[in-house]
Amino acid sequence: MFNKILIANRGEIALRVIRTCKELGIKTVAVYSEADKDSLHVTFADEAVCIGPPLGKESYLKIPSLISAAHITGADAIHPGYGFLAENANFSEICEESNIKFIGPSPQMINAMGDKSFAKDTMKKNGVPVIPGSDGLITDLKSAIGLAHQIGFPVILKASAGGGGKGMRVVWEESEFEKAFQTASNEAEASFANSAIYMEKFVENPRHVEIQIMGDTHGNVYHYGERDCSVQRRHQKLIEESPSPIVNDELRDKMGSAAILGAKSINYEGAGTVEFLVDKDGNFYFMEMNTRIQVEHPVTESVYGVDLIRQQILVAAGHAIEAEPGKPFGHSIEFRINAEDPEHGFRPSPGVIQSLHFPGGFGVRIDSHIYQSYTIPPFYDSLIAKLIVWGRDREHAIARGRRALEEFTVEGIKTTIPFHLKVLEDQRFLSGKFDTSFLDNFQL
Amino acid sequence: MDLNLIKKLIKLVDTSEITDLEVEENGLRIKVAKKIRVNGSLIQPAFTQPTQTSVQISGAEIEKNITTSEETKANNLHEIKSPIVGTFYRAPAPDADAYVQVGDMINSGTVLCIVEAMKLMNEIESDVTGKIIKILVENGKPVEYNQPLFLIELS
Repeated sequence: MFNKILIANRGEIALRVIRTCKELGIKTVAVYSEADKDSLHVTFADEAVCIGPPLGKESYLKIPSLISAAHITGADAIHPGYGFLAENANFSEICEESNIKFIGPSPQMINAMGDKSFAKDTMKKNGVPVIPGSDGLITDLKSAIGLAHQIGFPVILKASAGGGGKGMRVVWEESEFEKAFQTASNEAEASFANSAIYMEKFVENPRHVEIQIMGDTHGNVYHYGERDCSVQRRHQKLIEESPSPIVNDELRDKMGSAAILGAKSINYEGAGTVEFLVDKDGNFYFMEMNTRIQVEHPVTESVYGVDLIRQQILVAAGHAIEAEPGKPFGHSIEFRINAEDPEHGFRPSPGVIQSLHFPGGFGVRIDSHIYQSYTIPPFYDSLIAKLIVWGRDREHAIARGRRALEEFTVEGIKTTIPFHLKVLEDQRFLSGKFDTSFLDNFQL
Repeated sequence: MDLNLIKKLIKLVDTSEITDLEVEENGLRIKVAKKIRVNGSLIQPAFTQPTQTSVQISGAEIEKNITTSEETKANNLHEIKSPIVGTFYRAPAPDADAYVQVGDMINSGTVLCIVEAMKLMNEIESDVTGKIIKILVENGKPVEYNQPLFLIELS
């Protein structure tokens, strides 16, 4: 087992990882930028190293600083959290070369799934249903338009190296195709320094359902069911739940098996998430695979009774996954609480937290790094807390969520708590019949 | 109630390093506590009400400024800080002479030390001209970003 783990991240996820390390008796090293010196993860870790000025690229993204911090503290493993360098194949490789265990997949696995077009091909070859589309990248316009007719409009053009909604254009008819292609390429070049574009059938108003998988070095790959993450604003998830209201045992088995197939095809090691789009007829299509632990992992933990970070660490240390997952028990919902003002276009609201009260009670979990009198720095993402509730069924979880949100007090900054309460009044959400277009038409 | 006793207690706390003082005599318990200002931030020790009588010591808050060595730094002193995370070395090699010693005059651009990171030896140069007053890190010890390495008296 590792002696000491350096957490190459900040905020709530750094704290999350530190907590599990403590339970495993593993020493922890926190790294922090100057803007984070009063952060809770710095206080809770056994040691802390300042690695740079506030900007991400000069601190949390600066590989030499992280490796150097691991060297001077004698850390034998690095947990990258999510975001930052969690899916950076280069970082995974440098850790390997520096004799530090990267708690995550190998550079080869990251590359295999990081190239979206290649990932799709790999899945297709292994019998995982994929969205019909171009065979690889689009090279000439004429055959692309021909293919679009074959697939059937509408189609979507996507950046191969992309994410976060950039470099994407929906094309509804042939006359729009050429212009859409040019704009998408240019945006892709600007955002990812790679103008390569591929094409897919555009699934209208799909649900976003993802499967949590975990692979170890003993040949085991398991799935821990699904998470429904359809409540999204500009492709950013806001509410996630497990199980999904539209997934029954049969569909879960099918999707889970498909996800495991895909993971096994690249000998996947560690935690990963296979994302699917589900159309209104219940057909699911592989979208992409994320080779890291995700923000919303707690809802899976709640219904499967598993500490996923713990499994990650055990797997990385060469142990087998502790137990085969059972069936999901109960229903869990996570609400991402951001320091944003929902009444003013969700604009960021950094500042000092004057007054803070976390909700509590049975079935209520808070993953957060904030505390009363903490100053939220303006340099990083706006996630300040995750509220995760568990209930015997969806209705109970919703009632508990409503109660917990009402109890949750944050003063001094604006948060998305009022927004979540509004969502919990919406008939579409309450009925479970909603898709990724839900927030497009949402009135605050 | 003996006001003189109370005044004496207040004076005792005020003129000493004591922050909390509690005295009980003949069924009367008095507690005097003081706020201390350290480096500009206020630390308030817990203040409990006496239980047996309703003695109020309002206005017994005494502020005392404690200055630290950092605050007495003269204006012409400059800290050279590490721009990277790594290990601090005084000399370019284990058996070589140290780059600089206390008392040396240095210029902007003079190499002062090495900070090693990922097997790369980074030479750290001075950005000021002056005299080395103090070397703040021991040879071979780890340093973090912006950790002070040298104290320079500016010319």
